[in-house]
Amino acid sequence: MPQITETARMGSTRELELYFGPQHLGMVGNFSITMKVEGDRILEATANPGYLHRGFEKLMEYRTWIQNFPMVCRMNVIEPDSMEMIYAMAVEKLAGLEVPERAHYVRSIFLELARVGSHLFGLWAYSNMLGFDTTAQWAMYHRDLVLDLFEELTGGRVYHIYLWPGGVRRDFPEGFKDKIVNTLHSIGGCVPDYDATFFNNRLFYDRAKGIGIVNPEQAKKFGATGQTLRATGMKYDIRKVEPYAAYDKVEWDVPTREKGDAYSRIWVIRDEMIESVHMIFKLLDAMPEGEVYNRVPNPFKWNIPKGEVYVRCESSRGELGLYMVSNGGDKPYRAHFRTPSYPHGLIVLEEALKGASIADVGNIMISLYVVAPEIDR
Amino acid sequence: MSNSLKGKLESTFKGVEMTLLKDTRAVVSAPKDSIVAILEYLKDKGFDHLALVSCVDWIEQNEFEIVYILTSYMRNNTDYSAEQWLHLFIKTRISRDNPELKSVTGIFENAEPYEREIHELFGVYFEGHPRLIPLFLERKYEIPPFRKDFDTRKYVKDTFDSIPSVED
Repeated sequence: MPQITETARMGSTRELELYFGPQHLGMVGNFSITMKVEGDRILEATANPGYLHRGFEKLMEYRTWIQNFPMVCRMNVIEPDSMEMIYAMAVEKLAGLEVPERAHYVRSIFLELARVGSHLFGLWAYSNMLGFDTTAQWAMYHRDLVLDLFEELTGGRVYHIYLWPGGVRRDFPEGFKDKIVNTLHSIGGCVPDYDATFFNNRLFYDRAKGIGIVNPEQAKKFGATGQTLRATGMKYDIRKVEPYAAYDKVEWDVPTREKGDAYSRIWVIRDEMIESVHMIFKLLDAMPEGEVYNRVPNPFKWNIPKGEVYVRCESSRGELGLYMVSNGGDKPYRAHFRTPSYPHGLIVLEEALKGASIADVGNIMISLYVVAPEIDR
Repeated sequence: MSNSLKGKLESTFKGVEMTLLKDTRAVVSAPKDSIVAILEYLKDKGFDHLALVSCVDWIEQNEFEIVYILTSYMRNNTDYSAEQWLHLFIKTRISRDNPELKSVTGIFENAEPYEREIHELFGVYFEGHPRLIPLFLERKYEIPPFRKDFDTRKYVKDTFDSIPSVED
């Protein structure tokens, strides 16, 4: 850890204020950081969200329960499916709806595919930022293969609007299982190449090792979840802690690392991607036959009884929660999302940047897996 | 677990009422002065993960409801027991006319951005908060925009309809 010199503490003129983003090559997303630097070292960092505030939670209060589905998925551009899932879960819990067994499996497979796609996108962002262009192009290509699957299943590539309170909109089309298996095999076959060019690459190791360390105490103190927490050694995963969909039906493991630095976080993401692929194969094998949705009341005249609920699920970035209140009407009275990037991008990032070098800002930020639209909402 | 907690909470703090809901939720209603003490007490009892701080505008009762959602992290890496499922909603009601509350950032540091957000979007003042500076918004609003009496559609019409379109 570099020492903050005495001159800096006295407020000498060697301190500079520097703006990083939103128009900066090293910045992914609409987000900026104001840094106080001395030479190359960051003394203090302030995260500034707000470039993308659309007020979704307020807009949701003006729309009926069903009309909100196309809205919630737009909160996280990279992985919209967890957002749909959490909203569907909240509506089901408030209205007391049951989900058929097969729909649980379809949902889990759908969400795990989304996780793989999201991690590949994250891999693109990270390797692209560090200059590993080949890996970045591969990751983007493989993500596109996952998007092709989504296109066949739902009709949409990025936003799917596939979930529905009480199930999913439609069953898998014919031959879809084989397509999933083939696509995942062709992606999984490239893992050795990814390892050779990126994860085990000495250049990457030198850039990411020991950067942006978050120790277990800090992680807990700042409310970190997801990879940031799992890279410090804790097996905290909502899919295990509070299983939803079909995650308790098959065996799987939570990958962790010990060091808590950027390198560990990326390795957790890599292992998680592989674990997700294995999980999809197991889910496909165990999937029962049957209906994929239960009938819901007429959406135009659907009033949900008074109540409040907090549901959570594991998005590709950590614990995603939704606090929703109904006052017995046909619209949500209040909805508040607990997005994983919110603590990671605001307070964890500010802490992790202290004492870092300016060249590592993008490195640390992407390794914390921050998605700006999730923070702003 | 939850029943013994209920007894302890209600005997330790004055005016506190804990309601156990079905499944894994429990609601703790408390007066606003004892929120800090209750959160400190619950953190000691193992509820060390503050998931969310939220605010609901109950305009008909002329009150804001501040909600703290508490769960736990894991004790060790093999323990996936149901105890961790328990969600505590700690709630307090404050008047809409004078919305003031003590900040809990001293106990849970991750409450800091949540309180900043509530300050900005609902106009609730948090006493003792280290930096109540704007988080999202760039314009000044007469009514904080997430209050129920703020009409989004009217605001959008008034603000953006006056901007001439590109064709004109």
